[in-house]
Amino acid sequence: MSQDAVLKIVEKHKKDGDGIISILEDIQAKYSYLPDYALRTVSEETGKSLVDIYGVATFYRYFSLKPKGKHLVNCCLGTACHVRGGQSIADEFEKQLKIPPGETTVDKEFTYETVTCLGACALGPVAVVDGHYFSKVKTTKVKHILEEVKKGLEVIKIQGDKRIFPVEVGCTRCNHTLMDKDFLIDNYPSIRLTISFKDKHGSVRLSGMYGSYNIESDYEVPEDTIVNFFCPHCHAELKSPTICPDCGEHMIPLMLKGGGIVQVCPKRGCQGHLLDLF
Amino acid sequence: MSDISSIEELQKLNSIDDLKKLYWSLFEKIKNDDKPQLVICSGTACHASGTGDIIRGMKRYIIENNLQNKIALKITGCHGFCEMGPFILTKPDDAFYHKVTVETIGSIIDATIEGKLVEELLYTDPKTGERYYKQHEIPFFSKQQRTILKKNQNIDPIRITDYFTNFGYKSLEKVLSTLTSNQVIEQVKISGIRGRGGAGFPTGVKWEMLSKQPGDKGKYLICNADEGDPGAYMDRSVLEGNPHSIIEGMLIGGYATGATNGVVYVRNEYPLAIKHLTIALRQAKDVGLLGDNILGTGFNFDIKIVRGAGAFVCGEETALIKSIEGKMGEPRQRPPYPVEKGVYGKPTVINNVETWANIPIIIDIGGSDYAKIGTKTSTGTKIFSLVGKIKNTGLVEIPMGTTIKELVYDIGGGSPSDVKIKAIQTGGPSGGCIPVNMFDIPIDFEKLSEVGSIMGSGGMIVMDERTCMVDVARYFMNFLKGESCGKCFTCRKGTQRMYEILDDITKGKATMDQLDLLEELALVVKDTTMCGLGQTASNPVLSTLKYFKEEYVDHIKNKHCKAGVCKDIVGAPCQATCPIGTEAWRYVAHISRGEYEEAYLALREANPFPSVCARVCSHPCEKMCKAGVLMGEPVAIRALKRFITDMIEPSVYKPVRKIKEDADDYKVAVIGAGPAGLTAAHKLSLMGYKVTVFEKDSEPGGMLISGIPEYRLPRDVLKQEIAELIDENVTLHCNTALGKDITIDYLLNNGYKSIFLGMGAHKSKLLNIEGEDLEGVFPAIEFLKAFNIGGKKLAHGHVGVIGGGDSAIDAARVALRQKDVESVTIFYRRTRNEMPALQHEIDAALEEGVKLYTLVSPIKIVSDKGKLKGVEFIKNMLGDVDVSGRRNPQAIKGSEYFVPLDNLIVTIGDTPDVGYISYMGINVNKWGTLIVNEDTLETNRPGVFAGGDVVTGPNTVVEAIAAGKKAAIMIDRYLNGEELEKPLDRKMPSVYVPPREVVEEESDEEMKRIKLPTIPVERRKSTLEEVEKTLSEESAIYEASRCMRCDLDFTYPEKIRREQQELMQDITQKGEVLV
Repeated sequence: MSQDAVLKIVEKHKKDGDGIISILEDIQAKYSYLPDYALRTVSEETGKSLVDIYGVATFYRYFSLKPKGKHLVNCCLGTACHVRGGQSIADEFEKQLKIPPGETTVDKEFTYETVTCLGACALGPVAVVDGHYFSKVKTTKVKHILEEVKKGLEVIKIQGDKRIFPVEVGCTRCNHTLMDKDFLIDNYPSIRLTISFKDKHGSVRLSGMYGSYNIESDYEVPEDTIVNFFCPHCHAELKSPTICPDCGEHMIPLMLKGGGIVQVCPKRGCQGHLLDLF
Repeated sequence: MSDISSIEELQKLNSIDDLKKLYWSLFEKIKNDDKPQLVICSGTACHASGTGDIIRGMKRYIIENNLQNKIALKITGCHGFCEMGPFILTKPDDAFYHKVTVETIGSIIDATIEGKLVEELLYTDPKTGERYYKQHEIPFFSKQQRTILKKNQNIDPIRITDYFTNFGYKSLEKVLSTLTSNQVIEQVKISGIRGRGGAGFPTGVKWEMLSKQPGDKGKYLICNADEGDPGAYMDRSVLEGNPHSIIEGMLIGGYATGATNGVVYVRNEYPLAIKHLTIALRQAKDVGLLGDNILGTGFNFDIKIVRGAGAFVCGEETALIKSIEGKMGEPRQRPPYPVEKGVYGKPTVINNVETWANIPIIIDIGGSDYAKIGTKTSTGTKIFSLVGKIKNTGLVEIPMGTTIKELVYDIGGGSPSDVKIKAIQTGGPSGGCIPVNMFDIPIDFEKLSEVGSIMGSGGMIVMDERTCMVDVARYFMNFLKGESCGKCFTCRKGTQRMYEILDDITKGKATMDQLDLLEELALVVKDTTMCGLGQTASNPVLSTLKYFKEEYVDHIKNKHCKAGVCKDIVGAPCQATCPIGTEAWRYVAHISRGEYEEAYLALREANPFPSVCARVCSHPCEKMCKAGVLMGEPVAIRALKRFITDMIEPSVYKPVRKIKEDADDYKVAVIGAGPAGLTAAHKLSLMGYKVTVFEKDSEPGGMLISGIPEYRLPRDVLKQEIAELIDENVTLHCNTALGKDITIDYLLNNGYKSIFLGMGAHKSKLLNIEGEDLEGVFPAIEFLKAFNIGGKKLAHGHVGVIGGGDSAIDAARVALRQKDVESVTIFYRRTRNEMPALQHEIDAALEEGVKLYTLVSPIKIVSDKGKLKGVEFIKNMLGDVDVSGRRNPQAIKGSEYFVPLDNLIVTIGDTPDVGYISYMGINVNKWGTLIVNEDTLETNRPGVFAGGDVVTGPNTVVEAIAAGKKAAIMIDRYLNGEELEKPLDRKMPSVYVPPREVVEEESDEEMKRIKLPTIPVERRKSTLEEVEKTLSEESAIYEASRCMRCDLDFTYPEKIRREQQELMQDITQKGEVLV
């Protein structure tokens, strides 16, 4: 984490006329806590006194002054969860992780917090780990959840996962297929496209498996770069009026054989995508 | 083949005409699309239930099978029925598939394309088993009025075109093209809508005040989406599912009031809502519905999102304003009100999400039509989040003025288990609890505050008998003390102190004085704080004190938590619930370790009738078992008891006996050799007293022998158990009846210093209808006694049994085992769900061939020459819910019908047969049961105690044993001249039984409760052989190891505990604040 990144966040919000909270929220989201130097930087850049910044940083529950662990466990203690035994679940997490709420395990694997209501009351008791909801949790399940998390919730096995399946796409302009049978990614023909960013031009191949984010590119594309995509056959730029639901960029449309459109985000690192069937 | 133009490519709209043209072109497009559609809810709750995988799976299936031209998918926000997610709704068929899995989606897609249904996957009521073919017929939906929520199921929230095709922005168009600002305000005022955030201030009035503020300052409109009330999530669903409706509402508000800046203040905990709103704002901006010169009318309005950072107090308007400005969210004194001085000092109006969502509807249907919905002072519909101990959890939209009863029972489906609903909590931490006997009140702003609660944002948390109201108050106070901003001393300290007192109460450490202090504190905090948070912070305490004071007193005086929640005084719930305090956890733990003798001792110490209870106990412990309460299945404690009593010889138990030198001077008489009397005699004997037991019948056992049939309780088991209790201190006189052979005065005059009355309830109640004295009609007790003791088979031919309790089942199953009987039918006035008999007994009866007719009541017994010919019944339907949470049967006029019967057994309850007792100077109440002091069991005559069914009316065996035990203690106190009123000690788990070493099992499989082995049904009819069999050792150990060992929190050796605590502290210290 760098001073630069903090400065960038402050700049952006100053431009939009936002308050301290928005700035701190972005820093918190990026680093999962508010480092000492970040607060000082915010103070210097905004002209607000450090004590005001500290006041805000300690007033709201979302902010933390301590670094967090690799995984964030959040156990809901909202009323609905409470009457369904949420406290027992929270106690069990405490017992399994051997830390009280608000603390991080010594190995920095887990930070454990409780929250008053996540708004998933129908499924109580609820726990959220790294953004994944676990519903109707039982005390006997807690240990299992933590083991699953350690193994990794995001790990996607391309083979054997029913959620991942092959698609065949073509250019939305010239209708030519974009599948490259000679270049396999994930053991399946890849999607070939031409790209350009900054002063670089070349080829990129995307996995033909819907749900896989594997790509192979002539160039290493830096994180957060917005890339322009072109059809390798008719050379038209592939740019849709639809914006990425995750980051707001205009998406790359790819026509689906049999009817429908797959759209992916042109921003490196953004996993935004849409699949419309019609 | 599709083309790229199908993706949203909307031109900027420069005029109202452009917007109109857009509608035309969109409707033109969808007009030709007659593909069936599958609608999938993708709200947060359904996501948590796995809707993401379902959507993926459907897309995969459609692509792989090339079905793009045959079916359409629509992914929408929350529909409200969160309990049943993930679900699929089909259009146009309106079929509702619930709890869909990846495996079943293929069949749903195929069937929908063919215009068919997959019947077995349709929504089926889990209680009644009724299947529903249309979504709108499902009671959860049919009884609502879903004005706002219904839109969610038609709209993909990330597609603005979907909003347009559902007449989105039509109200804005109407406003911009036909109404002046004042006319808009007028419509909102006429509609009568009041703020949906909680306080209920009339929205139109607020807007009018803002519009009158000088316009040059730049006014603000705020959408309050800081839904901080734990248990409420309707704002989240509207934002997630239909964000454009909020934008449209705010645009109309801007036009009406002259405001140009909009802010949506939304919780950071709602990432999906933020995402959908962000997309919606961008889309609206792109098509020119936000920004400058909207639709070329010169109207300017823009909206931005501010994310809250987690502070409940920011729901208070002045605190919210500070938070938007980027400061600490501390409220300030009003006036000036935000409408004069709000965000950055500019005039500001703050409305809740739901209020904004209502605005387009008001404009669409007109203020006066809107005002017709709901009640006079609370108009429109309101969304509630119905959660907690309720069958159909989810979001519910109903017109204001609907009663709580309708909401909870008709829409919510009542309790999800057989535990009764006790109260409903409304309004979040600022609200209060309303007890079940007040569920008749209509839900509107005035009524709720009248009963000490508030509407709040609409959280409705249902609580049942297993919810402790003191714990609930403590929970809210814990929340509030953390959320108090600290500005007002009384709120900061008051909530803290109230919490401490409540915490003490739940731990059994408080005194009655503290209860008064708590109330006083609550009133002070209410009166002396500045903002809404502080002023309402006392509500959870005051309302629970008002309606549930007895629970507070029970905690303080008896150290007892009826709901089994407050851990520190409950200990292990099984032990706490058992009327005789059996350490069920202890013998279960021993069984899991294979230590059977130890297990038997733990059991026998508490219970003189272990083998009897192993067979016929109503096992209240299982109802409270943590393994079951936490959404699973309770440990089969009774079956384990059976296992252990079958396994171990009773002689293993060597009781500790006290020697009483002067025992002959303190003789005690016990009347009735049932479970209560024999327990009292046994306990007194162990204390060293000489006891004489007088029994009216020829054999001891009371109801155990005369009421309970042999196939449930073998006679040799019973006789052996009783024989063990008749020891050298106990003398038994059978065939000696009180009121006939002896009297109380006679006993007292003949050396007995104290008497225990345990005669039971041996007289059957009558139906009080014509013909009850006919030949062939039997009261249940008479029928059962004749068979159980005398071996007489009274029944023949076609037998009818009236009633729904345990003795109805017993009578029916006994009749079935009599050789001249052709059929047995039970007639019950409500439905099977309401039958008070033990569920597994009903199952067994039905298995054996007993027929069950429900919703019928007898009206006349028909005779032929003095002999029974049959019974005339009338059909019932279920009516209103009564205080017990059950629906009352109501006769359906003209539905009378005749059933020919050879015998009729009436089992509608028993009463004590003690007509003589008042002549002996003992007071009896109007139901014919004896009046005793509940704490001491003493009757109005000193030294004469009573307990069991003769006091309570027909009750369980374990309650009778409990009464016997308690009576023995009281008689001992009485004879020693001690004070009787002293509360009895409650035992907490104290013996440490190490947990069984578990071999790590990787399986994700839930450990299911074992099923009890029984003898085959075919064999049952011809024999009195015991139906239930004992568990195998393997299943007993398996079942015992399912125990969650609640006792360990109390029995875990200190050393290990201390080590763990130190480790914990260590970590806490290491992780100190870095700044």
